[in-house]
Amino acid sequence: MSSNRPFHLLIWALVVSPITATSAPNTFNTALPVAQGEFIWRSQGMIRDRSDDGALKREVSVRALGNALGYGVHPNLALFATVPYFFQKSLDVTTPSGRVTRETEGFGDASVFARYTLFAEDFTGATFRVAPFIGVTAPTGDDNDRDRLGELPRPLQAGDGAWDGFLGVVATYQTLDYQLDGQFLRRENGRHDGYAAGDELQLDGSLQYRLWPASLTGVSGTPAFGYALLEFNLVHRERDELAGQITDSGGLQWLIAPGLQYVSRRWVVETSVQLPMIDDPHGDAITDDSVWRIGFRRNF
Amino acid sequence: MMDRTVLGLILMLQISAVLAGPRYTLGVQGLACPYCSYGIEKRLYQIGGVESIQVDIALGRVRVTLADGEHLSEARARQAVKEAGFTLESFTQLDDGSGGDDEQ
Repeated sequence: MSSNRPFHLLIWALVVSPITATSAPNTFNTALPVAQGEFIWRSQGMIRDRSDDGALKREVSVRALGNALGYGVHPNLALFATVPYFFQKSLDVTTPSGRVTRETEGFGDASVFARYTLFAEDFTGATFRVAPFIGVTAPTGDDNDRDRLGELPRPLQAGDGAWDGFLGVVATYQTLDYQLDGQFLRRENGRHDGYAAGDELQLDGSLQYRLWPASLTGVSGTPAFGYALLEFNLVHRERDELAGQITDSGGLQWLIAPGLQYVSRRWVVETSVQLPMIDDPHGDAITDDSVWRIGFRRNF
Repeated sequence: MMDRTVLGLILMLQISAVLAGPRYTLGVQGLACPYCSYGIEKRLYQIGGVESIQVDIALGRVRVTLADGEHLSEARARQAVKEAGFTLESFTQLDDGSGGDDEQ
């Protein structure tokens, strides 16, 4: 560890958020119901690139597939399990001895969470719901992968080795024409081997607007809908810790994500790109360039 | 020849009408996207004797056809819709499967 300290210091600034299991919006959760006895399977590919303009020209690249399974235990209670698989999680950085690439792959940390519908008001062709949720992230990912330079820095590992907890509340207002979602999330990251990723506060919003069919007048049955969506994510991340706070880590970030969604009775196919509107990192922490997502959901 | 064909078609329609079971229309509140409608179908198909379901999402209506001789109570329909996470607004029996209309 001590021999790789410069790399560790560089990468402590990099925080790669896990892919969450979500239902309606592309980047976070929804309060819409999962029927009792119904399963929802979701997979979402993600390409995330981060970089800085400093002398080290740090570049972080994440290629991952998020997988989620949801189950309706009760009309008001749904359980979800998620696990990401990293095809590539890499850092390129300029060092005195030249450009260095360090990378890993494999399954990341798995999460389970429960969502309970606390309030629901249904109307003809519309619904409003509020659902708190709570969950844990288990240290299922490899947290001590090594390469020729030694053990990889902690934020570059597929797992962080710690138990993390999170809770929040999500509200949804859905009509036949459009849908609004809002979410508040608090994540407490645990400590493992002296290292703790910074705790997070997140505020999310989403608007989905039906583009197709343009009108439902005279439409019978259940046609597929095509939606345009626009989401935002405001994320505040505290500094990571290892024998004290790491100066160049955490910060405030505001992302927006335009996207498209195809929704039928059994399938959802969706894509979006998250772009940073505001990046206000602590110190010299690295910032996001873009996060591309494409995925599907299937109910059964 | 033409007359026989027409008569045959009319006879088939009459027979199928007699063989069809009772039909119901459920008014469902909260249903506002295609993906959610599958949950209602799944819960209603758990009811014995349900042969077909058609969801008209624009109207918030679900048409349920049962096998001949079967019956769907409002309480059972309400339970199935609730299990799907929605609210039953209205329950109408369109016919009892004997060919005559019967509204509750």
